[in-house]
Amino acid sequence: MTKSILQLDHVGVRFDALRAVDDVSLDVRRGERRAIIGPNGAGKTTLFNAITGVVPPSSGRVVFEGRNITHAPPHRRADWGISRTFQITNLFPSLTVRQNMELAIRGLTPRKFSFFGSPAATDEERAQADSALTLSRLAARADSAVNELSYGEQRQLEIAMALAPNPRLLLLDEPAAGLSPAERVIVANIIRALPKDITIVLIEHDMDLVLSLVDWVTCLNNGQFLAEGTPADIRNNADIQNVYLGKARHHA
Amino acid sequence: MATPISQAAPSYEARTRPSHVVGWIALAAVALIALPLVLPSYQVSITTQILIFSVLAMSIDVLAGYGGRTTLGHGAIFGASTYVVIYWTAVLGGGIWTGVALGILCATLLAAVFALLAIRTSGVYFLLLTLALGMIVWGLCLRWTSVTGGENGLRGIGRPEFIADHISFYYAVLLVVAPVTWAMWRFVHSPFGLTLRGIRDSESRMRSLGYNVPLHLFIAFVASGFFAGIAGALYALFNNFVSPSTVQLSQSVAALLMAITGGVGTLLGSFVGATLIIALENVVSAFTARWPTVLGVTFVLIMIFAPEGVVGRVRILLSRRRKRQSSESLN
Amino acid sequence: MDRRQFLKTTALTLATGAGTLAAPHIVRAQAAPIRIGLMAPQTGVVAAGGREIIDGFTLFWENARNRVGDRSVELIVEDDASNPDTALQKARRLVEQAKVDFLFGNLLANTGLAVANYVKGNGTPYFIPVIAADDLTQRSRIKNVIRAGGYSASQFSRPLADWALKQGYKKIATISQDYTFGHEQCGGFAQTFTEGGGTIVGQFWHPLNTSDFSPYLGQISGLKPDAVFAMETGADSSRLIQQYASFGLKGQIPMLGAQNATDQSVIRTLGPECEGIVTSAHFAEGADLPATQAFVKTYSGKFSKIPSLYAFSHYVGAMWVAKAINGIGGKVEDRNLFLDTVLKTDLPDSPLGKPVRFDDYGNPIYDVFIRKVVKNKDGKFWNLPIETYPQVSQFWKYDPETYLKQPPYSRDFQGIKKA
Repeated sequence: MTKSILQLDHVGVRFDALRAVDDVSLDVRRGERRAIIGPNGAGKTTLFNAITGVVPPSSGRVVFEGRNITHAPPHRRADWGISRTFQITNLFPSLTVRQNMELAIRGLTPRKFSFFGSPAATDEERAQADSALTLSRLAARADSAVNELSYGEQRQLEIAMALAPNPRLLLLDEPAAGLSPAERVIVANIIRALPKDITIVLIEHDMDLVLSLVDWVTCLNNGQFLAEGTPADIRNNADIQNVYLGKARHHA
Repeated sequence: MATPISQAAPSYEARTRPSHVVGWIALAAVALIALPLVLPSYQVSITTQILIFSVLAMSIDVLAGYGGRTTLGHGAIFGASTYVVIYWTAVLGGGIWTGVALGILCATLLAAVFALLAIRTSGVYFLLLTLALGMIVWGLCLRWTSVTGGENGLRGIGRPEFIADHISFYYAVLLVVAPVTWAMWRFVHSPFGLTLRGIRDSESRMRSLGYNVPLHLFIAFVASGFFAGIAGALYALFNNFVSPSTVQLSQSVAALLMAITGGVGTLLGSFVGATLIIALENVVSAFTARWPTVLGVTFVLIMIFAPEGVVGRVRILLSRRRKRQSSESLN
Repeated sequence: MDRRQFLKTTALTLATGAGTLAAPHIVRAQAAPIRIGLMAPQTGVVAAGGREIIDGFTLFWENARNRVGDRSVELIVEDDASNPDTALQKARRLVEQAKVDFLFGNLLANTGLAVANYVKGNGTPYFIPVIAADDLTQRSRIKNVIRAGGYSASQFSRPLADWALKQGYKKIATISQDYTFGHEQCGGFAQTFTEGGGTIVGQFWHPLNTSDFSPYLGQISGLKPDAVFAMETGADSSRLIQQYASFGLKGQIPMLGAQNATDQSVIRTLGPECEGIVTSAHFAEGADLPATQAFVKTYSGKFSKIPSLYAFSHYVGAMWVAKAINGIGGKVEDRNLFLDTVLKTDLPDSPLGKPVRFDDYGNPIYDVFIRKVVKNKDGKFWNLPIETYPQVSQFWKYDPETYLKQPPYSRDFQGIKKA
């Protein structure tokens, strides 16, 4: 069990009568690249929200590095090493890229409580920001305003901000959503190049993209666990072909 | 005063060349110091009033412009300080400086109570909740006649001798307002200030980055209440009288309008807003009894043609011009 | 823009700004006119009364051809917005910028108290024909604040209480707006009534702007008093009088009231429901006195309405102060002389119809009318005197020094004598 970093133990999330996530159990090993797939409405993002604490589970347990975090607020979970990106771009549009990065870094440091201190980044903060920006291939745009970035660059910044605090678990919610094929390649390369000690859980619709990035796949349907396996298993699983791949191809 | 501003240069919104900023600040300082030498005494007291209300408007801007929480309860926090100062000196016979300290303390505590009740809401709910809390304070001042004097209010005992006349009081207020402004400027341009702007832009992102959003808003609200309390204590010395009209809703609205007119999120815009509104009030009311209408129309026009406020508008124009110039120099 | 041009532009802007602020500044010429600052609410909750203050005050000066003590008069009117902070600001402007020789006016007690506290510091004479707060001419007397044409709140309710005792009323309930003006008028009534052997069976305090009086009316009728004393102003007064009639209490329990309850500003919009209410005041528009009727006729002719408290008080106040100024040959700059002369001036021929003079505290001594609301020959309702109490001072029959030792009236202290 020491290899396990995140465990979901019969997690359920209910909104009134709707079971958005219904009795899902998962075990993610440290350093693993895990994809969670499923058609729209399968409960993928809700599951993310349960892991990050945005929506606390109504039943079951979430355990991170042996600690029961089921009811901890989001900022505590961030403190313990969980970081995420958002499906719908969620940045600070009126600030610069660098300021976005500073906020991302200071979330876990006491400097966020400096009331009268200089706003300039310390050397350490700067190095940390630059390293995350370089990983996300955004270093050249560090001094731009967020609302001057292209959409693709904003998605890259999403990743850079999630990387900045050096998380141990990174949750990527459709990192390539809405991108052109060329931009998808950039994002895929960024994810592929991320340090191996970061555990990554990824939601993605683009099957070709996702299956090339991960080593284990969990498939949800209607909030319930459907199947899991290696990318190769998933490609050949008839159930998944039916509920998901077929549909997805139609939509595409 | 030059240092913090040049340090603030990386801030994107306020990216003005430091040498220009120093020039502007120096000019403003000279103008403010020289003002009593050229203005008649009544205009000096109007300017004093403008300075005091600028602090109140800035305290609102800290929350509204940086934390994204528009409040309608700050008139009550401001007025609570005024009440305490006058009650302490005139009714209890206490010393003026203890009174000022107590006034600011009470305003800060009141702000803490408001904050505990309101920070978990946002948008129109926050607006209405702070409005309701302000109304409770107003009701209390109106009904608790044995302490507050009810409708008739409380009369002060006047200022200490050395700041009794208009001009020395003006300088005394200036001497307080300048460092308070500087402190607020540092505050909104500190790492904590950046946190507030992050909260304004996206609370969900801030939470996932490890920020305890309600805690930060609580601190911002209390700090803002502290600054409003300073303004309220100065107002007690200025007005030498307090009644429920000092804590009523229209006080909160007027101060918010000053912040908005100057430009929310610009901090120093509050000086422009307070000057415009107070000067307009005084000039127009000398000519027509319909002055509230004139004020209203002016405000509507500002909202249509410069919704980002006067200072906000100027900044946009300046940055456009800078961009045009830099693109021209490239060609 | 280079630096030099920038400085020039800025200096110009500042200069224009200062010029605009200073716009109403008027240079004083030789043989300068006497400058009077009048503050009245032209906006806010009591704007209607403020309009009548201006009408009454300017009517006097028009009749006097804007001259007094061989000097011309310049009148500067400011809106106090029914708000004490605004009143204070306007008072500052009138004194410090417009350099007026003295101030007049204000309607709401809190605006008057704020201005009084301001002039206390600089000695500007301030005349308050409507501001009735007792302590301004009692415990917190300010030498330069004089109630020319005005009265202190508890002054007129005492003779009314005396009259009520003479009617054989033993038990009376009071209903009043819950603020100082109400506490003081009710206090004057309750103290005199109980000291004369009557009983106050209940006191009801309601917030300003009460729309529904039925809870109070129900309780009052339950107490079965011999009469009710109502202390109401403005729209509250209209509503109480209407609801009193529609709940059937009119005709069962006689209604007495403070003078403002049946002031013209209230009853000119009412019908027969106000008929028969008995109040007390220093003025009765229905009084068959030549000076009163002449004034009512002039005022009604000009403004198409019978003058209210706000109008006649300011007319009388202006007349009183003008007489004093004539007495000192226009030398209002000598403030001590001016104030002393005002306090010594008797006014024999004002619209009040009876001679009046000041007590030692800057408050007038009046012949007080007990008045009943009746319909006049034009079909309008007005206040007709049915009895007169001569020479009523704010201290009634008490020795001023002894009286001032008792606390001011409040909700908790109504001066009620325990039987």
